[in-house]
Amino acid sequence: MRRSMVWCLAATLAAAGCGVGGEKPSETSASGGDVTLTFLVFETPNLDAAFWDAAIARASAKVPGVTIKKLVSPNVDRTGYAKQLDASGNLPDILQSVNPAGFAQAGKLAPFTDEELRNFIAPKAGAIAGKVYQLPYNTQVIPVVYYNKDAFAKAGITGTPRTYPELLDVSAKLKDKGITPFVVGGGGADTWADMYPLTATVATDVYHKTPDWLTQRATGSVKFAGPDFTKAAQKVADLAQKGYIDPAGLSRSYADTEQAFRDGKGAMYPMGSWFATSADNTKPGFEIGAFPWPSDDGSPVTPTFTGGGTLVSSSAPNVGLAKKWALAFDEDKQNNDAFVKADGSIPAIKGYTPPSDMGPVYRATVDIYQKGMADGSIVNAFSQEAGDGSLPPGLADKAALGVQDLITGKKSAADFAAYLDDQWAKATR
Amino acid sequence: MTDIDHAALAASSAPMEQANSARANSAQANKAQTTRAATARAAAAPSGVRRPPAEPPRRRRPPAWRYRTGQSLGRFALFALPGLLAYVLFVLVPIGMTAYYSFTNRNPFNPPTRWVGLRNYADLLGDPEFHQALANTVVITVIVTLLANAGGLLIAMLLDRPTKLYLALRGVFFTPVVLSSVVISVIWQAVLTDEGLLNSVLRGLGVADPPGWLSDPEIALYSIAWILTWQMLGFCVVVYLAGLQGVPRELREAAAIDGCGPLARFRNVTWPMLAPALTINTVMLLITGFKAYDQIQVITNGGPGTGTTATMAFQVVQTAFTGNHIGYSSAMAAVMLALVGTVSVIVLRVLQRREVTR
Repeated sequence: MRRSMVWCLAATLAAAGCGVGGEKPSETSASGGDVTLTFLVFETPNLDAAFWDAAIARASAKVPGVTIKKLVSPNVDRTGYAKQLDASGNLPDILQSVNPAGFAQAGKLAPFTDEELRNFIAPKAGAIAGKVYQLPYNTQVIPVVYYNKDAFAKAGITGTPRTYPELLDVSAKLKDKGITPFVVGGGGADTWADMYPLTATVATDVYHKTPDWLTQRATGSVKFAGPDFTKAAQKVADLAQKGYIDPAGLSRSYADTEQAFRDGKGAMYPMGSWFATSADNTKPGFEIGAFPWPSDDGSPVTPTFTGGGTLVSSSAPNVGLAKKWALAFDEDKQNNDAFVKADGSIPAIKGYTPPSDMGPVYRATVDIYQKGMADGSIVNAFSQEAGDGSLPPGLADKAALGVQDLITGKKSAADFAAYLDDQWAKATR
Repeated sequence: MTDIDHAALAASSAPMEQANSARANSAQANKAQTTRAATARAAAAPSGVRRPPAEPPRRRRPPAWRYRTGQSLGRFALFALPGLLAYVLFVLVPIGMTAYYSFTNRNPFNPPTRWVGLRNYADLLGDPEFHQALANTVVITVIVTLLANAGGLLIAMLLDRPTKLYLALRGVFFTPVVLSSVVISVIWQAVLTDEGLLNSVLRGLGVADPPGWLSDPEIALYSIAWILTWQMLGFCVVVYLAGLQGVPRELREAAAIDGCGPLARFRNVTWPMLAPALTINTVMLLITGFKAYDQIQVITNGGPGTGTTATMAFQVVQTAFTGNHIGYSSAMAAVMLALVGTVSVIVLRVLQRREVTR
């Protein structure tokens, strides 16, 4: 019987051992130096499984010896999922569009060299202490105001607003006609979808004046409770208080919010530029236009984010090959064409030109970006920043919850700003 | 025991002692004879003559009780050890790690980890977000425990009939219990959003401005509590049905003959007999309420607004995996464990006492 106990113990320990480390896909095989690398992606209606499979296959064809094992994040919060995987000692070897904050500082990511970044338009975008851990492969304008041309016409609006007072006039006219001016979402796990009006007002009222404002916030020389940020928050609170933003949207998921705009439940939809191709690919029953969120005096401000590409784990079984594969993935013309067509990205790769058959909403969006580049009005997009001068981990989620309070009137602009200062202190203690 | 008693006992034991003494003397005499015979055989044997090998000492069998105990332990090890090992590895060890981390400032993205003593617990005392999460958890737990118990009992009494229709209905009520919480959350989200099924019906009935079940900060918490109640209702129904079927019919009949009406029969016969079912349901519902997480993550993400529907479990996950503050979130988890354990044990004791005294 003692023998049976020993066997039992041995079998159990063996089973437990298998559970913990039995299947580690990222191991170099004995023959030929081939390597299997895990690649974390996320799926959305625009970026579905077929899209990722095709893109992975194209990159793998350019880097012999690499076999990719695709891992799919259970929701769009791939950064949160990457943290969970890391906590269990299973950080994927290559990661798509994960925020490098924290991972990089903890030495979990491999930096790219200047030579490796030579083909990127903004090679230092998202740098952390001078090193770039995420390929700056695309730019997004966040937000662009997409609008329903039919609703504007119905309200007698002939042009797009160029100043903030004009935007308020447009909103008033729409409301008078029984049309909700802004469609804003943020329900369920997609709380982040409510951030775009605030991202816009922070761009026009804070970053336009002080481009490195968030870096200064990190040093403590400015506070959210200061006049500039509070004014930006007050604008959002006022829009809600005047009935230009419907609080009912706070129960809508991101997909439902997009659908609400398509269904004509509001005239303006402040959203990231990724909406452009979605609008072109699945046309609603009205024509969609686009304009940048206006500043008080009409001076141009273009909030953008550049980065968002792949990252490589410093503990990948073959970091060199993993970086080579990541570069092949992000620089591949067909992959970028697919990203443009599926997700409206504006690739930041030298010499890249989008496909000529792109739709009118995408072209209008790219126009806004190119004008911003031409007139030097590019600023960061609040809560979307990466690298030095970005929000501490977790604060963007707190800000999104705070914006819900602004919209429902539970918090004043001053309360909201003080709340963010408090959360900043908690996040960085 | 008196002196007379001692004397009687001594008198009664005297013949027994004599018999034992006689048996012992006889055994000693036999042993002495055997030894003498062996010595004589040895002396009579000529030197150089090969003697038969001495008989090997017979191996002693272990006593029966020890054998039986070993067998039981072996069986226990065979069947229980894998489960026990899994429990130790996946429950006790993580609890131990959590307790340890709660005394550190562990943040995997901001090493090194340092021992901070009770600082995390002290911070919890002054953390309004944690207080709100605690209050939300208590509200959800109380609502779920009361509503699911009352509703479960009511439905069980309605379904306590042996016809096929009622048997089918039992299955219907139990369905939410076996569904994933995420599936249930998605279903209820579709029902409760501002443009969802419920508000569409209300608008159809002429309600111009129906409530924002998930978007109104004053209502969202109660919507979540309702969803949890709905999910647990089937479990309570099944447990109460099992309890009802254990109530002897003759007791109810006797009460009826004694002139008890339906209400008195329920109060004096059925309800006391349902005490074990009440205990099971209450403890299960308390635990369900205290650990509410999935529905909040899927439906409200802790909102609308800051912390309006955030529970302790939600706060633990957010603090650990979004904010990276593993040490602080471990302290929250430790408090949560202590709270759930304490409340569950107290409630269990109180309800079990009720079972015994009735």
